[in-house]
Amino acid sequence: MTLFTLLAASNPVTEIAEQFGVDWWKFLSQCISFSIVAFVLHKFAYQPILQVLEERRKKIAEGLANAEEIKKQLAAAQQQAAEFLSKANADAQRVIDDAKSAAKSLQERESQRAVMEAEQIINKAREATTREHAKMLADLKREVARLVIDTTAKVTGKVLSDADQRRLSEEAAKELAA
Amino acid sequence: MAIVVFGWSARTIAAEEVRGEHATAVHHGLPAAAPEVPILKIGPLHVTNSMVVTWIVTLGILIFARIATARMKEVPEGAQNFWEWLVESLRDFLESIIGPQLAKKTFWFFATVFIFILFTNWAGLIPGVGTIGWGHPNEQGGLTHISTPLFRGVSADLNMTLAMAIIFFVCWCVWAIQANGIGGVVVHLFGNPARKEMSGFLALAMAAVFVLVGLLEVISILFRPVSLSFRLYGNIFAGENLLEAMAGLVPILAWLIPIPFYFMELLVGLVQALVFMLLTAVFTLLICSHGDEGHEAHH
Repeated sequence: MTLFTLLAASNPVTEIAEQFGVDWWKFLSQCISFSIVAFVLHKFAYQPILQVLEERRKKIAEGLANAEEIKKQLAAAQQQAAEFLSKANADAQRVIDDAKSAAKSLQERESQRAVMEAEQIINKAREATTREHAKMLADLKREVARLVIDTTAKVTGKVLSDADQRRLSEEAAKELAA
Repeated sequence: MAIVVFGWSARTIAAEEVRGEHATAVHHGLPAAAPEVPILKIGPLHVTNSMVVTWIVTLGILIFARIATARMKEVPEGAQNFWEWLVESLRDFLESIIGPQLAKKTFWFFATVFIFILFTNWAGLIPGVGTIGWGHPNEQGGLTHISTPLFRGVSADLNMTLAMAIIFFVCWCVWAIQANGIGGVVVHLFGNPARKEMSGFLALAMAAVFVLVGLLEVISILFRPVSLSFRLYGNIFAGENLLEAMAGLVPILAWLIPIPFYFMELLVGLVQALVFMLLTAVFTLLICSHGDEGHEAHH
């Protein structure tokens, strides 16, 4: 007879326990059995999965952190690009403005030079014309004087002296100038 | 003397019994105590038929878990997917109830309790549990009753449910002391939560009241292992007897009548696993949450 059954004779709790088959050795066996089951399942069934889940959680957290970092970098890059673009636009505008002003001043300068050159050409042409005119007049004078002298000599039938020729020539020149 | 019988349905055998000997059928229901398996004994430690099922189920869970975790992939599929789903859902569920820190610390116990109770409850419904074992022949030499089945529903053994409840009780004490310290546990049980707002006679009177409340609380705590173990044992034991009774109700329909009850028992198996886990988790939360608040207050 076990201690358990001895106790059962006097104790209602142990009577109930005996009725439902509670026995200390069996109970102890079940305690050991369940403890082993819990340890084995924890070690070999849950832990590998929990590790994987933890690693995945970390990876996701890292991924999200990276995504946030990338987002920040992208925003910074976009801002930088926008700054570069606006600077480039400003530079280009300045270059265009410079070019326009340079072209304008060049145009003015060139047109002034052209006007000057044209005036010079006109002046030169005018001078040449004047010179030609004067030369023509001188030639004419000389020719007319020669014709007057020749005609006078032929009409008078005498040979004219140098003084006569000079006087006739001057008179003819005066007549022409008048 | 003892004859080993292999059969597929305890319910069918029970039905045969009812047909043959109505008067003794009542005695042939599932015995309240789990018998020892005659060929298995480790020193003074008894190996009962419920323990045989315990280790078969554990082995099954282990083999499945090892297959599922043998070649882990980043994107899970098949067995890994199912096992991950089960473990992750349990962890998330526990975290939502008792908080992430406590869940991490106690997951091994609550997960084991749930998975183990669930699968052993369902394993107890497999034909063969209760019908393979040792029996005594009648006068005609035929075997109508298995007196010592080789397998028995694990939770239909009060030693097993009591073992789980007592192990929880020990763990609960350890977790409570870890969270609160011994003084903290005593204050938690017997202290007046609003003592800082009280003074004079009222404080003394309320302190006395809360000492009495604490005594009631201690009694209720001491009864937890009893209620936990009897609830699980009672449900599963009653379920097995119900199935057997339904099989014997109308012998010619012994194959049909238990079927709806089988589905009910599947549900009972799940619900009882959930109830055991939830109650133990909530008991743990109740004693540990106070400690957390205290720590937070200190910070």
